[in-house]
Amino acid sequence: MYKAIGKNIQRKEAWDKVTGKARYTDDLPETGILSARLLTSKYAHARILHIDISEALALNGVKSVLTGSDCPELFGPLVLDRPALARDVVRYAGEPVAMVVAKDEPTAEQAVRLIKVEYEQLPVILTPLQALADGAYLIHSKTNGYRKVSTDIYPEAGTNIASRYRMRKGDIKEAFDRCEFIVRQRFFLPPSDHLAMEVRTARAEISSEGTVLITTSSQSPYAVQNQISKAFLIPSGQIHVHVPFVGGGFGGKAPVTLEILAVLASRSVGGKAVRVTIPREQDMVSAPCRIGLEADIRIGANKEGIIQAMELTYFLDCGAYTDISPYMTKAIAVDCTGPYHVENLSCDALCVYTNHTYATSYRSFARESCTFCIERAMDMLARKCALDPLELRIKNAIRPGSLTPSQVLCTPSLTGDLTQCLNKVKLLSEWDGGNALTIKQDTVRAKGIACLWKTETPPTDAVSGALITFNPDGSVNLITGVVEMGSGGQTHLAQILAEKLRIDPKQVHVVMEVDTRAAPKHWKTVASMTEYMAGHAVVRASDDMIEQLRINGAQALGCPAEEIEVANGRVYSRKNPENFIAFKDIVHGYKAPDGSSIGEPVLGRGGFMLKGLTALDPQTGKGKTGPAWTLGAQVVEVEADLKTCTYRIISASTVMDVGRVINPESMRSMVAGGMSMGISMASREAFSYNSEGIPQAPNLRTYKLLHIGQEPDFRVSFVETPESESPYGVRSYSEHGIIGMAAALGNALSAAFGAEFTSLPLTPEKLWRVLSEENT
Amino acid sequence: MIPFDFIYCRPDSLKEASDVYIQLRNEGKTAVYYAGGSEIITMCRSGSIRPDAVIDIKNIPECTVLKIDAQKLHIGAACTLNQIKESKFFPLLGLACGRIADHTNQCRISLGGNLCGTIIYRETSLPLMLSDADITLYGPEGQRTVPFLAVFNGRMQLKAGEFAVQVHIPDWALEARCAHIKRTANEKIDYPLVNVTALWKDGFMRAAFCGICSHPFRSGQIEAVLNDRSLSCDVRAEKVLGLLPEPPYGDVEGSGKYRAFILRNTLSSLLEDAENGKI
Repeated sequence: MYKAIGKNIQRKEAWDKVTGKARYTDDLPETGILSARLLTSKYAHARILHIDISEALALNGVKSVLTGSDCPELFGPLVLDRPALARDVVRYAGEPVAMVVAKDEPTAEQAVRLIKVEYEQLPVILTPLQALADGAYLIHSKTNGYRKVSTDIYPEAGTNIASRYRMRKGDIKEAFDRCEFIVRQRFFLPPSDHLAMEVRTARAEISSEGTVLITTSSQSPYAVQNQISKAFLIPSGQIHVHVPFVGGGFGGKAPVTLEILAVLASRSVGGKAVRVTIPREQDMVSAPCRIGLEADIRIGANKEGIIQAMELTYFLDCGAYTDISPYMTKAIAVDCTGPYHVENLSCDALCVYTNHTYATSYRSFARESCTFCIERAMDMLARKCALDPLELRIKNAIRPGSLTPSQVLCTPSLTGDLTQCLNKVKLLSEWDGGNALTIKQDTVRAKGIACLWKTETPPTDAVSGALITFNPDGSVNLITGVVEMGSGGQTHLAQILAEKLRIDPKQVHVVMEVDTRAAPKHWKTVASMTEYMAGHAVVRASDDMIEQLRINGAQALGCPAEEIEVANGRVYSRKNPENFIAFKDIVHGYKAPDGSSIGEPVLGRGGFMLKGLTALDPQTGKGKTGPAWTLGAQVVEVEADLKTCTYRIISASTVMDVGRVINPESMRSMVAGGMSMGISMASREAFSYNSEGIPQAPNLRTYKLLHIGQEPDFRVSFVETPESESPYGVRSYSEHGIIGMAAALGNALSAAFGAEFTSLPLTPEKLWRVLSEENT
Repeated sequence: MIPFDFIYCRPDSLKEASDVYIQLRNEGKTAVYYAGGSEIITMCRSGSIRPDAVIDIKNIPECTVLKIDAQKLHIGAACTLNQIKESKFFPLLGLACGRIADHTNQCRISLGGNLCGTIIYRETSLPLMLSDADITLYGPEGQRTVPFLAVFNGRMQLKAGEFAVQVHIPDWALEARCAHIKRTANEKIDYPLVNVTALWKDGFMRAAFCGICSHPFRSGQIEAVLNDRSLSCDVRAEKVLGLLPEPPYGDVEGSGKYRAFILRNTLSSLLEDAENGKI
């Protein structure tokens, strides 16, 4: 019987958040703090000829004005290719060019408007294919001239290719020759944005003895510490990072960006505290966004519809700088086929520079993009084979004994049970074969299906840790480096701890804010790996604590430690449970009735380092990048008006193999949240650029998100095939609800309108354009 | 954040408002009249305007009138869209007000601001163009009341320092047969790709448009076609596309061709509904 696992435990921070009491980075009232604002580039690609800061400097209240020449360092998590402020050249519209530090925000903003920059425009490259064309202008003159943090990044000199990954299995030529049906299709997905409710912000100050204190809205406090230490040659112990609640991250707050500017700003004013704030419009165009993607997909099947071969080329539009995009390219490569049994594979995934805003991780780390391409192509294949799209997927579902694209052998623990997900989603969505059904004149209903899968691509040496202390009342405090940004990870860790100690989860208090001087290092709060990595650390810390309680108990009760049980907030001998000692009386050592002290105070600690992961073989792609996979199947149902090319989404269903449902309601809502984000992204979101590469109307008046009241009927169900290496068998799941939504929507609309939609977003105008082109 | 300081004036009368405008101008300062401020805030924030002063007209009694007398409805320019909608005095104008922005902003945006602002749609102008409305203006040269269409030509033609005080709508229009159709890119709350507003007088359909072109308009030629019963609804809708005062407007919300497609569909079904007695 579980005490905490599998229960609907309310989020630990729920009340603070719903009452508005939760405090975020820029909420903290403070006086005596300076403000910094940014001037950003108005061109997508230009040489900076001259910057005149004299008028800005002369404005009363301005403390300093910084430009690229004040900061020669380059930054990036994988390749050091990005300046904090543009030097000599700007590579995207919105790139920070100068920063003003002033007594307050209005003064800084006024001063920004007084800076004059003289540019000379350069050729603009807006798609990967333009960037790869013969003779294309090189966005970085020495693509392979930058320092690499990791060895598995492969920039190609003399091109705009920042990295490339190859997956090779079997013999595709021979396999395609025997195919009865072949689908070949090009796909196009534009960049879009994360749009967390909390705009990015950071502040920094430098103490008199040189400690750099950074408070930031970040998913990666330890990466902030590390990157700033390396770039500015400050010992990492001198860098103290503090992260309060984060108001949504979705991957967009994983990179280190404003923190660097905050440190530069503070340094320029003698270490005084400076907050860097950006308005929403700058958050959209200056801060990193979601990747764009172009893809060529070729799938061949025999006459039974069994896939024989895939030939895939993915071109990631990483924008002006790499940030984490090479690893998103790698991530696409390791999951390139979708969750299908494919013996013959050739895949090239390329990370390509363009003059778009640079990209970074976005919920599901690029799988939402590659899945659109693969799963749309699967539906095209189903039509060619005259098969129900769901049946085609069951026939080809990856299964124990299959090899993944990177040639990892599938087992139930590793990949779960996709077939069961498909069978279950068939019932959940009331699947009807994927054909359009006319319900009245010009109006049809149709459903579309897509499968999803995702493994992780963390550094092979990523770590996590947990500390546990006791309160005098016997309740425990859990301290980890996990950032709370809405994914409920902290609550799940509390459940794991409660289960280990056999206590009520209410007796677990979670320290929500992360302080790098107090909490043990946790790689980053990304990749849905909280339950796996920090979960392991919590399990180990609990074991450590239980061991200490046993020793105290054995001494206090006068029996061997092996006889001691720890449960329900008590320590007792298995042989005499009535004679127990409550936690409160033993966790800080035990005081015997005669006053003598027995045992020691109990402190739990646990560390965890990923094991068994490898880099990919550069020729074949063979290797294992993550501990396991999470698979699932999703269906979207639409009602379409064929005359006006409009539609509404009726329902959306997901069945996912999450290994173990440790908190049904929080997991359901997290998956539904992902589905909602996916529907929004697929149906309406894109950065629109003009031919000069200038973003058009990057603001929330024009860039619309799905909002309350527009949501379809969300149906979520789970399959439980435990992952043997994970705490309580739970798999990564919190990003995954998004992955198949664009594809399922695309498949539903393609069925409804009888046309193949191959790009996003699926706006009514887009549908109309495709349909009217088909008619002419 | 508005990154600069500005002077805030709150006059109690029309004359005071105009006087303070003149005074500020004589001091070399720029001033804008203000009621709701939604557009002024946005533009100051983005840096596209930088007024030295705002003159708040909400405390001027004439600007907050909302009443019917002597065969006319009078609406003060500082009345909010939500007040107009909830008064139910002029249902067609209420429909227009109810589809501009969201409820929070409808409680802030004023009729005068929607008519005189820079956002190109000015959707409240459509019912006024169709209903033989008059408008009262006040400025350094005093007060004048003129037909709305005499000073509205896609946008308000105001003299320097002049501001809208009231609009006056004849009572026949308040109860007239009417239709309001607004089509957007995706959302209920958004700028119009196409807004078609119609009002019938003596069996004749009047129609005004915005979204389809870069400014709102009403056209005699188009109305002649719309009322030509010898043609089918589809043919009339198609012909209207050829009579637009300028090529269809296109931007990031929707291309001109797509707007034309929507206008044709919208007109065609509007005409059919009208002929089938559904309006």
